[in-house]
Amino acid sequence: MSKFNNFRSKLADELEIPNNALSDNFELRMHGNKKVIIENHLGIKVYDENMVCIKTNDQDITIKGSKFKIEEINNYKVIVKGNIKEIIFSMKE
Amino acid sequence: MLIFKLMYLIRGYVIIRLDAKNSEKLLNILQRRNIKVWDVEKKGKGIKFKISYEDYLKNSTLINDIVKPESKRGFLLKLNKVKLRKGFSIGLLILIITLYLLTSMVWDVEVIGTNQSNTNEILALLEKNHIKIPVSISRIEAKQLETLIHKNFKYKFVDVFVEGSKLIIFVREREPDPAEIKSNEPSSIISKKNAIINKVIAKSGQPVVKEGDVVYEGQTLIMGIVKNKNSDEFMMVPSDGIIYGKTYYNFEMKEEKIKSMNVPTNKSKIVYYLKINENSIKILGNKDPYQNYEYRENEIKVPILSNIADIGFIKGVYYEEVIKEIEIDKNTAQNKMKIAMYDELLKRCDDDSRILKSNINFSEDEKFYYLIAQIEVIEDIGERVRIFSTEEEKTDETKED
Repeated sequence: MSKFNNFRSKLADELEIPNNALSDNFELRMHGNKKVIIENHLGIKVYDENMVCIKTNDQDITIKGSKFKIEEINNYKVIVKGNIKEIIFSMKE
Repeated sequence: MLIFKLMYLIRGYVIIRLDAKNSEKLLNILQRRNIKVWDVEKKGKGIKFKISYEDYLKNSTLINDIVKPESKRGFLLKLNKVKLRKGFSIGLLILIITLYLLTSMVWDVEVIGTNQSNTNEILALLEKNHIKIPVSISRIEAKQLETLIHKNFKYKFVDVFVEGSKLIIFVREREPDPAEIKSNEPSSIISKKNAIINKVIAKSGQPVVKEGDVVYEGQTLIMGIVKNKNSDEFMMVPSDGIIYGKTYYNFEMKEEKIKSMNVPTNKSKIVYYLKINENSIKILGNKDPYQNYEYRENEIKVPILSNIADIGFIKGVYYEEVIKEIEIDKNTAQNKMKIAMYDELLKRCDDDSRILKSNINFSEDEKFYYLIAQIEVIEDIGERVRIFSTEEEKTDETKED
């Protein structure tokens, strides 16, 4: 699954089309250290004032910091606001 | 995001508080059900978030099983609360209706430009014509009122308009007609038409034309200045007499050979309108059901309601007509043109005029019948005009010299 996803990702790069159009990879955007927008997510694993963990297809994204607030969440994207100190990507077991 | 929040402020949203440890689970369920969640905040052990009121209603069973909404906010929700307060809503409605009724009625009539007795007469006339105060503004038809007042009082100028809740009738009284020329006042007789003099009967004054003279409009026929027999001085006298003149009238007329006329069939269709003030809404039947038709309508008034708010019904009837081309025969056309010609002649001549000679020629082409006529008429062409002395001015000038 993962290899096939990598292939699709490479193909998207070669064709110069948006990566998430072909692959299941997530897209992460940051506005300074105050806002993170994650697209193509699978849900929230942990939500706390100091930590937010978001599931994606291959990895879990852990955002650490303080005063976290989920500004918006729908089945495609999640917007997390707060003071971001650290973002950890951990492969799924 | 601000626009999004404003939109949901109007449409309504629900704030939900969940005091369980596994709050993430609910968020994921909502996300899977395609429910948009925003402003998720950590509150103690649980979380607080907002969802739209529409989504809440759609998934209320699911949400109510797990949590209870903390509060519901939004403009539309407030509006729903107003619906529940029936007394207030009814009161508001009555207030609006009362205001509408009060402002759509005339409560006072003001007549400008005439004295009190005439004002009272105008008010009486209005009452006679079913315009009693208070009356709905839409029932007042300014043009009709103007005509009515004009006919009954012979004012020079009448203007009717509504200002706020007041009916204002502005009138200007007619200036007195110039006094008739008295029989003993110095006067001359002049010609009111171009004519050839036929007979001069001068009872008083000095005739200045004789039989056979050609005179033009405005030319003096009998002069009111005569020489005093006893002295060389001239004196002014009232002129009197009848001057008959031959006048000529030329006519050219034409009449179509084939005329298209609307002939009614026996078919008719009815349409009903609801009339509110000046607007009408069609409630039954079709507009313009026939290609050619004659339309007649009459108003059906609802007792009491029509007097207060000018609400009623209009019944309109469309009578079908067919356009037919009718050929007009020569005699009919000639008679018609002759009658029209004599009618026209009567308008131009006096009652005591006499036709001396008439020369009427008829002709025709492919489309029309023609009439060319010259009528010779004998009539009184004299008109009395007052003459004034310039003696006083002359005496003043001599004094100055």
